[in-house]
This record gives sequence, C-alpha cells and structure tokens, in this order.
Amino acid sequence: MPVDSPPKSSVPLILELLPTPELPSQECPRRARTQIDLLLLAIEALDLGGSEAMLTGAQELGLEPVLKGRVNLWLLRSTNPMRRYSQRRPMSLEEAKAMVAIIGNLARRLTVLMRQLLTGYQQLRDRGLSLDHHLRLADYLQRFRTHFRARMNPRRAGVIAYSSDERLDELAISLLEQLLLCSGILGTQRLWNSLFDGEVV
Amino acid sequence: MTVTRQYTLPYCNLVLEGIEASVGDPYSPMTVLMNAECQFPGVTETTLAGGREFLDSLVAAVSAYGQHRLSGIPRPTSDSQPLVDLQPGERDLHHLIVRQQPSTQPTVDTEAQVPLVMPLTTVQFYDLMEAVDQLLADSLTLPDLKAQFQAIPRRMVKPAEPIAQRSAPAVVGAVALVAAGLALFFVPPPTFEPSRLEDRTATESLTPEADSPEDVESWESAPVITDAVVLTTLRRQLRQRLQEDWSTDSAPSEDLVYRVVVSETGDVLGYKYENDAALEAVDSTPLAQIALPTPDPAAPRQAVAQFLARFTPDGEVEVDVWDSALAAEDDPPTAEDTAPEAATNGDLDTLTNKITDGDRIRTLNQALRVQLSEADLPSTRADLIYQVRLDSRGNVVGYEAVNTDALLLAKDTPLPDLVTARPASDDQADFRVVFTSRGVIEVSPWDGWPQ
Repeated sequence: MPVDSPPKSSVPLILELLPTPELPSQECPRRARTQIDLLLLAIEALDLGGSEAMLTGAQELGLEPVLKGRVNLWLLRSTNPMRRYSQRRPMSLEEAKAMVAIIGNLARRLTVLMRQLLTGYQQLRDRGLSLDHHLRLADYLQRFRTHFRARMNPRRAGVIAYSSDERLDELAISLLEQLLLCSGILGTQRLWNSLFDGEVV
Repeated sequence: MTVTRQYTLPYCNLVLEGIEASVGDPYSPMTVLMNAECQFPGVTETTLAGGREFLDSLVAAVSAYGQHRLSGIPRPTSDSQPLVDLQPGERDLHHLIVRQQPSTQPTVDTEAQVPLVMPLTTVQFYDLMEAVDQLLADSLTLPDLKAQFQAIPRRMVKPAEPIAQRSAPAVVGAVALVAAGLALFFVPPPTFEPSRLEDRTATESLTPEADSPEDVESWESAPVITDAVVLTTLRRQLRQRLQEDWSTDSAPSEDLVYRVVVSETGDVLGYKYENDAALEAVDSTPLAQIALPTPDPAAPRQAVAQFLARFTPDGEVEVDVWDSALAAEDDPPTAEDTAPEAATNGDLDTLTNKITDGDRIRTLNQALRVQLSEADLPSTRADLIYQVRLDSRGNVVGYEAVNTDALLLAKDTPLPDLVTARPASDDQADFRVVFTSRGVIEVSPWDGWPQ
C-alpha cells in the first residue's frame, strides 16, 4: 500500500512493521548483531558509497530519532563481537529494527547488481571456473575481504575461522545471497524474523 | 466472474484464477481460489498447478526455507509430508520438491509416488519467493492469506553437534579415569616407615642451617661499627622494622632469639637463630623477607653492626647490641629511655589552643632564639632538631626531639634548663629549633611563618 506522506509519529512507521520478538532480555542477541554488521559490510563492498547511503537511507526512512548520526551508526555496528574495536554497549531492539530497515532499503536498490553477481557466480561454478573470471564479482570479493580484515579482530575465534581467502569468499557469497533474499517486498520483515531464529522464548 | 491475478518475475510466474467477492467492482478482492499455477520460464517446462492446498503449502515452504537461508538455522522437520517442500541441494542449489496431490491421483499409497524435484539457483529461488511475497502483500488477492513470520523458539533448535559428539569429551574422561584406576590398582600402597620419616625431618632441619649461618659468619671479618650514635639509630630502626612487619598473631610460645647483621645503611645482611625455637619459627618472623640476598663475596666489605633480636611471646620485639662491650659504651637505657624522656616531659600533646596572632608568634620566635643563643651550644656532628612548645608569655612548656641525634644529645642542649614548672597559659605555640653541626641555631614557627 503506497503512502505518500508518512505520518509524524515518535516511532518511525517502518519500524511498526517489525514486531518485537519475545526474547529473554530486551537486547539484541549476539548472532543478530553480528549478522546486521556483516550484511552492512557486504553492502559497503557492493556499493562504494555504501556507508554514505546508510546515513541518507536513515534520513529518508525517518529513522533519525533512533539513529543519530554517523558516530552512533558506527557505535551500533561495533556491537558486533567480531569487531576489532567491539563495543560492550548493548544494541536495543529499536536500534536493531532501524538497522534492518536500512539494510532492506539499500538491498532493494542493489537487487539488479546482486542478481548479476549471483548469476555469474552460478555460471562460474557450473563450468568449474575460478571466481576471478567474473570481473565485477572478483571486485566485490576483493573489497569484502579488505573490509573484513581491516575491521575484524583477527584474534577472535569467530574471525580466525575466516582467515583464508576461500573461507572469506564463501562468507561474502552467502551474505550476497542473504542480501538478495531481503531485498524483496517483504524482505525486511523476513530478515527481521530470521535474526531471532533460535532466540525467542 | 472469474478473475486472474498474475505475479511475473524473470524466472517465476505465479498465476492465480479465482472468483471475486462482488461482481463488477474492480477493487473487490479475489476471495475464492480456483486454480494456482506456477511456471518457471527458462528453468523448466513443467508447470506446477493445484488448488488452495497446493498454494498454502507452497507459501509455507517458501517462507520457511527463505527464513532458513537468512538465519542459517535449520527448521525442525515435521512428521507429515507437505505437498511442497524446499531443501538445500548440492552446489548452492535449492531443491523444490512437489509431491503429487492425492486428490487428483487416486492412489492409496502416497509414499510410493515419486516426488517431482526441481533444482533452482539462488536467483530463481529469489524470484519464487518474491512472487509469493507479492501475493502475500497484495490485499486484493486472497486477503485471508497473510504473511506469517515466526522465529524458531530456542527449545526447537537442534544443537549444532549431534549428541554423540557432544558427549565424546565426557566419555573420554570417564574412560581415562577407569584406565588410571586400573593401572593404580596394581601399584602397592606405600607402607609407613618411621625411620624414613625421621630421616626426612633431619634433612629438613639441616637446610636452614646450611645457608643462614654462612650469612652471619661471613660478616665476622667485616669492620664493625662502634659509633654509639650510629648503633643506637640502627638498633631503633631494626626494632621498628621488625615490630612493624611481624604479625603478632603467630606469637611464639617462647622467646625467639636471632643474631642479625645490619649494614651502615640499615639493610639486614644476614641472620642466624640462637635457640631451637627460633630455628623452627623462622618463617613466622619478618627476617626472611627483609634480609637482602647474600651479596657477592668479592664485593668490598662494608662496616656492619650485629644485633640480638628477641621476639617475645607477648608480641614485642627487643633488639640489643650483640657485642656487650659496645653495648656498655652505647648505654642505651640511659641515653634513650630514661634521660631524654624525663627531660622532654614525655611526648608533646596535640595543641588545642594555638596562638594564631602572627605578631605574637614572631615575638616569641625572636625571644626563644635570644634565650637559646645565650646558653652553651652542644658540639654535634649532625643537626639536632627539636619541637619546642612555648606559652604566650614565652615560657618553655616542653620539647621533643625530632631525630635520633637530638634525642641522644638533649642533655647537652640548653633546652632542659629552660623548661619551667610555672603554670602555662592556655594558648601555646610550637617552634622548630635546629642546632646545626656548624654551631648555628635556627628557630622557626612549627607550622611555618604566619602570613
């Protein structure tokens, strides 16, 4: 249902679509924080202006009451325990909803590119070729690896598992698939619910 | 009137035929489904078709599988076989599994029917999911069909490792314990041999003897400090250190007597027990902690003093000069305990009524200075520092030595003669008096010059 002018309310409209799950504590679970940050990392690897697009996306969606500016966004992303400068502060469910809304919004814009990359990936696999043969895909993987290694703490057990290029490429591809799946019309809601698989009471 | 709704994506066409609620109204929703068709152009020629049961099953399977792909957490499998199912396949493919509908094919044994399996790539699966999502979001088609997202509850999630793997460490531990028990079963239990025990105590008692006497005897040939003042200072320091560091909760049953070697700077260089109790309880005394490690024997010999330290059962530490000849010279009881204490009128109490008038303090300071310089000055090698208390009329109420030299040489200073027995006024002031080694008297207010 298209809405021309969003009503002015304290809670941004898009967040009302995302139901608050019944969690043991009112904080975002660890796996959800990691997943949100990794998906944003994949968006940055896909789109050079990704980090700026996150801020403008937050403004377009009317999420400023929840996400106040660049530093706050960085702090929230740093609640990912894999991060080099991981923050011990919790991520509230409202903040998590806003992040998920931004991911869904940005993923929608990147749908065409993601389809191309995944189709190319499938073709390379069918022919048994290495991933370097698809220029745009190799570019994405390279950029994802650089971002990941620059920002994640290499001493964390969760990060050590991705120490090789191959493992990082696998992670990048699976994130690309997940991003595509949440780019659809109900993608934001699907992503939101998937974050709490195995967490709700 | 029959209406058709079509959701078209590059790899998936979902076509629904049904009946709308009210005839003629273009915004009337389609409420009854007659037929649902799902085509995969460019993937397969097969068209999946069915009624509401097929569509419901397709929506449920796509939703569940999509959520599984997003979270990576597998859904609990149900016992009943759904019409439509999705399972992850090899090489990143997604297998859409469609079982024949029992209603159209009147076969009794549904299990025997071969299900139709269609491998879909991620993009193709995405198109299928998007077609389903568009249908779910469309309020004009089957409004009763709503998106139902449900996260898997914690208790339904299977642990990542099967139970055999999770219990492996516990099983290995139990097996190791049994093996160790079996192995130790054949080892004979140790028998009690009293002679062995005695041997051990004998060796143990020898160990401290082996190093500590050396500590002391190696200093026998060192030059001996004979200066009475230095000896007294060292003795006081040593007594203070031992008393502070000694935890009296381990009070001995009899006196612990040690011979202690102290350097000119006050460091404890070595010690040796003088009675058996002292040997046994050496660890309870602070001597072991404060003693310096044995220095290099080749190092130049420094002058040392030897003391007798006695830890009494009352929790007191007594320290005497070891060499009785030096002790007589030192004359500690008179020099330290009786004479100065009598002269100083004991410790000065804390001042209650201080003179605060700056002019008065300056006048008193000047008067005291004049009074002191009239008398004979002691000859001293070190500065003698005293705290002297005057009342407001300038009478010396009392004094107290600040350093050791001052304590020893108090009798030689004019101060004892100046102390008056006259009743003092209430308000008093303290002054700092220093007899320097160069024969100068310095007098200043104890709390500093008034502003």
